[in-house]
Amino acid sequence: MLTYIIRRLLLMFPTLLGMTIVTFSVMAMSPGGMTAIIANREGAVDPRYRKAIHDYYQKKYGLDKPLAVQYLMWLNGVSPLGVKDAGAGWPVSWRVGFKLPDLGESIQTHQPVLDMVEASLPITLLLNIVTLPLVVVLSIWSGVQAARKRGGLADIGGGMVLLGLWSIPQIWAGVMLVGYLGNREILHWFPSAGLHDVQADQFSFLPTLWFAGGLHFDRGWLLDTAWHLVLPVVCLTYAAFAFTSKLTRGAMLENIAADYIRTARAKGLPEGLVLYRHVLRNGLLPLITSFSTLLPSLIGGSIIVENIFALPGMGRLGVVAVFDKDPQMVMSLTLVASVLTLISLLLTDIAYAMADPRVSFEAAPS
Amino acid sequence: MTVPAGTISPTNLGIADAAPPRNYWRQVFHDTFAPTAARLGVAWIGVVAVLGIFAPLLANTHPILAKIEGHVVSPMLQNVTVPDVALLALTAWTIVCLVRRCSPSRLMLGALIVVPVAVLAALLLTHPPDVVDYTQYREMRRQGKIQWELMAPIPYSPYDFQRDIPDAELNAPSRYHWLGTDALGGDLLSRMIHACRIDLAIGLIATGIAVVIGIAIGGLMGYFAGWVDLLGMRLIEMFESIPQLFLLITFVAFFGANLYLIMAIIGLTSWTGEARFIRAEFLRLRRQDFVQAAISQGLPLSSVLFRHMLPNGIYPILITSSFGIASAILLESTLSFLGIGLSRDPSWGGMLNQALSAGGTFVWWIALFPGLAIFLTVFGYNLVGEAMRDALDPKLRT
Repeated sequence: MLTYIIRRLLLMFPTLLGMTIVTFSVMAMSPGGMTAIIANREGAVDPRYRKAIHDYYQKKYGLDKPLAVQYLMWLNGVSPLGVKDAGAGWPVSWRVGFKLPDLGESIQTHQPVLDMVEASLPITLLLNIVTLPLVVVLSIWSGVQAARKRGGLADIGGGMVLLGLWSIPQIWAGVMLVGYLGNREILHWFPSAGLHDVQADQFSFLPTLWFAGGLHFDRGWLLDTAWHLVLPVVCLTYAAFAFTSKLTRGAMLENIAADYIRTARAKGLPEGLVLYRHVLRNGLLPLITSFSTLLPSLIGGSIIVENIFALPGMGRLGVVAVFDKDPQMVMSLTLVASVLTLISLLLTDIAYAMADPRVSFEAAPS
Repeated sequence: MTVPAGTISPTNLGIADAAPPRNYWRQVFHDTFAPTAARLGVAWIGVVAVLGIFAPLLANTHPILAKIEGHVVSPMLQNVTVPDVALLALTAWTIVCLVRRCSPSRLMLGALIVVPVAVLAALLLTHPPDVVDYTQYREMRRQGKIQWELMAPIPYSPYDFQRDIPDAELNAPSRYHWLGTDALGGDLLSRMIHACRIDLAIGLIATGIAVVIGIAIGGLMGYFAGWVDLLGMRLIEMFESIPQLFLLITFVAFFGANLYLIMAIIGLTSWTGEARFIRAEFLRLRRQDFVQAAISQGLPLSSVLFRHMLPNGIYPILITSSFGIASAILLESTLSFLGIGLSRDPSWGGMLNQALSAGGTFVWWIALFPGLAIFLTVFGYNLVGEAMRDALDPKLRT
């Protein structure tokens, strides 16, 4: 198992390299240079001034070097193991060793990219960490119910509803939720944007209730955040729920007619125990496989949700970076998104081996 | 037909219409399109296709026929565009082939001839003006220069932003604009009808690219197995771990929003599902007798792969491509919604973008109708895919 995990971790590197090379070449091939974008933003019309800006930023960001060198420089900055200090005398004066990863500096905001990622990554992770257990619990429950009453009206109708839910575009769901439930003019049940109230830093952490002339209620920081998260999480959950629920039903049906289930029933085990301990346990493998696609799709979904609900997470940052044509930001966000995806794939594989002791990733003895 | 007593036949088993034994493909085809839901899905996709093909006849500011200052002219024909002509030629050819029951290869070959000829003819014969003036007809109508005219049912083109009419932006649905107008003053229904083309084309072409790549890579992996398979699986894993939406956004942002580019990139990044299916099928088929026979006869590799193996392993591809079309449409809508994809060209996702303005106002008709169109189309493809999967899965047959 350990060998397998190590091999998987090593296999992540070619994938990451491939992904960053693709992104890097996309940006390198793009028409018009980075410096032209900066010059336009600073309103430089005078050709001499433009030239000065061009030269300054070309030198500052190393854009005057060959593309391969630029990529290697970026790679060296990102990796925790590499050249720390490139002196003049190659390669004698180079100091190689462990260092802090440096994601570079944003061309647009002139802030270190690492700081911006650090500020926005927790929000995306929070969104996904709230959504994932919700999806798993809901879909397993409803899938088990559907398989139990197989062929019944609830099963067939439910299947159609789930397919419909899965087909609802997230962009549409988000717009309708904000438009009808987060709109001051219609139903203002939920806030339409952001993660906290404007005055959230003055709130207490937990909801409080006190008497001072009358009954006062302060909803507190926690409840306020939860209230802000309701619509984004609904928007992120429903499609994944529909997809996984259908898969759970299928996985349950594979096993529900098996002999050992009949044995379990014949022993007089309660129905709940039969369903969850025996049927689901054996149908877990295809489900775990599907979770590997669930996590990347949630990360992709957070791009949409964060943009509709104006949450300052990674997805929002990514779209802004892409709009601004900010190469350092785009490269770093691609890297972070790929790493998240790869880690989720790895976790899925480990869960796979843990769920079924028959699964072995060791090389078969031949 | 007389049935001797005591023999078992379909008639005395109580199965009514089981006269000729149906072959496997007919059975699968029947099982796919028998469920009502799948039929409804196909019907909706058909409606979208018809709306897209005949869009210039359905929604157009240019009159179809008009008598202007004593001359009978057809402004619609004068302003016909090359995609209009190509699409009409393709449709006409398909109908001819269906009526004459041509083989699919004949249909495709013919299309390769008919469509370029039609495009060439359109380029030579029509002279669409560089700048289309949509206000001229309303102006002429006011001046009484038009004696009579035959208008399309929706008398607004998708790019007719009604610059001559004050307060044309964001009108609620009314008698004049059945689904209202958008933020620029364009008729929403007209834009939605013309968007049918883009959304269907994106789905079909992107998935077509994905299927071709998937068959090529998956087929080779399944046929050769061994290290080719190992290498291919790494490639598939790599592509699957790419956050597709993010890569797409990057591409489009740095290269500009171009319909064909979006199609190509969606195709280039979504072939992994097809490749996995074809690989599994080919791994199963390569040991079978008919494939071994074909190899031992010394047939070339392309013949073994595409003539002998592919027809036996194609059906799973149809299932994934039906779902693939749905997800390609979703991806394009998402891009356009984020403001990175198509903006001026009508697309359902791009229209949805205008539903929530920065000021916080919510325009319900722009949110409702284009969103519903995306949903129904995606739902339609998913229903068809689901029905195909049920038809093919023997475990689910009852």
